[in-house]
Amino acid sequence: MAADPAKILHVTFMAAEAGFDPVKISDYYSGSVVEAIFDPLLTYDYLARPARLVPNTALALPAITDGGRTYTLKVRPGIYFAADPAFKGVKRELVAADYAYSIRRFADPKNRSPYAFLFAGVAALETPDRYTLRIRLKHTDLNFSHVLATQISGAVAREVIEAYGDETNSHPVGTGPFVLAKYVRSSKIVLAASPTYREHYWEGRKLPSLGGVEISIMEETQSRWLAFQRGETDIEYQLWEIAPTFMTGDGRLRPEFEKRGIGLERSIDAEITYTFFNMQETIGGQPNPVGGFSKEKIALRRAIAMAYRVDDQIRIIRKGQAIRARYPIPPGIAGHDPEYAGSIPYDPRTANALLDKFGYKRGHDGYRTLPDGKPLAVRYSSTPTERDRQFDELWKQSLDSIGVRLEIHKDRFPELNKLQDQCRLMMRTSAWIADYPDGDNFMQLLYGPNTGQSNNACYRSAEYDRRYEKSQRLPDGAERNKLYREMTRLMETDTVWMLGDSRYRNVLLQPRVAGFKKHPVLATEWLYLDLKQ
Amino acid sequence: MLAYLIRRLWQFVPTLLGVVLLVFILFNWIGGDPAYLLAGKIANPEQIANIRRQLGVDQPYYVQLWLFIEQIATGDFGASWATNEKVSAIFATRLGPSLTVLVPLLLISTLVSMGAAMLAAYKRAAWPDRAIMIGCTLGQSVSILVYIIVFQYVLAYQLGWFPVQGWGSSLAENLFRYSALPVIVGVMVSLAPDTRLYRSFFLDEINQDYVRTARAKGMSEPRVMWIHVLRNAAIPIVTNVMMQLPGLLAGAFLIERFFSIPGIGREVILAVERSDFPVIKAVTVYVAIATMVVNLAADLLYKAIDPRVQLK
Repeated sequence: MAADPAKILHVTFMAAEAGFDPVKISDYYSGSVVEAIFDPLLTYDYLARPARLVPNTALALPAITDGGRTYTLKVRPGIYFAADPAFKGVKRELVAADYAYSIRRFADPKNRSPYAFLFAGVAALETPDRYTLRIRLKHTDLNFSHVLATQISGAVAREVIEAYGDETNSHPVGTGPFVLAKYVRSSKIVLAASPTYREHYWEGRKLPSLGGVEISIMEETQSRWLAFQRGETDIEYQLWEIAPTFMTGDGRLRPEFEKRGIGLERSIDAEITYTFFNMQETIGGQPNPVGGFSKEKIALRRAIAMAYRVDDQIRIIRKGQAIRARYPIPPGIAGHDPEYAGSIPYDPRTANALLDKFGYKRGHDGYRTLPDGKPLAVRYSSTPTERDRQFDELWKQSLDSIGVRLEIHKDRFPELNKLQDQCRLMMRTSAWIADYPDGDNFMQLLYGPNTGQSNNACYRSAEYDRRYEKSQRLPDGAERNKLYREMTRLMETDTVWMLGDSRYRNVLLQPRVAGFKKHPVLATEWLYLDLKQ
Repeated sequence: MLAYLIRRLWQFVPTLLGVVLLVFILFNWIGGDPAYLLAGKIANPEQIANIRRQLGVDQPYYVQLWLFIEQIATGDFGASWATNEKVSAIFATRLGPSLTVLVPLLLISTLVSMGAAMLAAYKRAAWPDRAIMIGCTLGQSVSILVYIIVFQYVLAYQLGWFPVQGWGSSLAENLFRYSALPVIVGVMVSLAPDTRLYRSFFLDEINQDYVRTARAKGMSEPRVMWIHVLRNAAIPIVTNVMMQLPGLLAGAFLIERFFSIPGIGREVILAVERSDFPVIKAVTVYVAIATMVVNLAADLLYKAIDPRVQLK
């Protein structure tokens, strides 16, 4: 059975998309549509957990040679782009050169791609024949296959890109299961099953089963919730603020919704939040009270981390819809260690004792001073949003409990990013969402040479860096996991980060939705879904 | 008349320059560096520098300001930094949905509030006046958010009289199906302050000598109210109505967000969230120009309503 035009899936986005040109986007919403329209060489098995790479338009997984520096793939012949005037009526086959072109676009400064960093390691792209793509990397990278499975690595056709010039964001043409049928920017995105999509069978069913997907942009939670309850939408991904309305305390659907046949799929997002300390001795020429590797500095950072109430963060700010992060790699990502026992518990009593021991004396006002008697004030940076104000309050209360004076520094998001890249923030809470399901994507956040980019703490540890460089040369497995554990312990010993939480994703499904299983990496499941009549 | 028109148009220039300067200073002061917003999760200094160069924010301030003035003169604000969409296209596509809601909203709200205000003024201190004023006080005490949330929940979700949200592709569908509830909410919000304001306009007129004279001459009450009082009270009412329109275009973002209407207000909020300066610049300039034009139109309308008005 081919796609049934009567089966239209209705979903919502809680924020507007930026566009659908794979090189120009970085938001989840645009990525979801890009995933439906474009085909990367590799993808993930829909049902396998943890996520497992499988070929998509490639005939097989890449042949990795040259010690992890050369990737060779064969594109499956007979795959065609969706019809478009740019092809001038000619049926256009997908070839290896399309992938080479698509990857080169990330390096083109004109495109100012937010994901250029993923392809920064590409040294050369070769297409020895029509269907063969050879990617040569500058350095060994055993995770590059994951990059080839990202939604943004889908192939675009040069003719289309050249034909639409600056308008490529609104003219996506790919080889994927859906085509863009109607587009009202920031309001409605209608996808239709692509009539030229290849013969793709899964569990005996030709994909896609859906005739189309209608996406409505609804920023307000109340609108999304009411629309779902009225049956105007089929899947609701983003209702964590009102989760207690439809969920019990133990994470199950309330009986009244169960009776209506509504389904709940609960999973943990492939992300962590963490609060980093700037590890540099000085910030902008001024002494940094939390920076450096002396014992008293480590004691201060550790005491701060031990005083912060992560459980309150989850209960109050996350409304119970998160779990405490105990490892830098979240669950569901290769390298995660569920057995790891963190060495920084919530323990304000010990935190106070630690500060007393290292000479942070309390003054008359109850606040501590530095061991040399100078005033101690820790500056925490956040944006002027309601959510961040909640974080400010929790940090203030936590640090008051150990007599450490907290100053809140407010600035706009881009300015904080700028200061962070310049190592000029003392403390800030950040989040990292997996770009691909491998621990390397998280462990690189503390790698010294990434200072000024993703290493927000500006942490430089020869021990950590040596292990990280070694881990990059190892495939996922026990040996690499051992290194990750050691690196995590080093991070804790130096107390560079205070790990926060990983949020739950609660997906609500109407009874007619069939075949849904939340994938830890794929943005959407539309390709595999069916709607009961 | 022509001299007046030319003088007023000439006055647009310094006003607009003031707006331009204010927007420019505010954006550069509080807007943040957009390169860090657009650069993605990991960017090196070269990428940041490249983005700054492409956006033109690496130029000296006076060059950026001059480019801004050039954009106003040519009417071409370039493309959105966030989506690459032409700013002119953003306005062309968002104006229709905004007007589909705002025109009926303004029309209904004005007619209803004028009727209520006239009744209250005519029955001053009697029970209709008191009832209307109590209603206005209550109405004004309620936040627009409460109106939206309650009306959406009761009228759309519980009773199913309207769709919870949405926007279609035909004008009729949008006007009669999707705009109905947003218009009701908008009318509810503006009814109370407008009625109070218009009541005071009517009361001013009712106490004028010409009304007493008309009554003394035996003119019927409906004629006194509808012909004489209404005509004279119309000048400040017209001013109020026209002055509301430009602000409403950009200011109706709450209604547009809750009801998923792809209008200008929603786009403005999106632009602010994304530090999308080309869109912010264009909105501010367009609203400033619209306000000035509407001001001028209102002045010209005075003359049409009341020939005694002298345009100087």
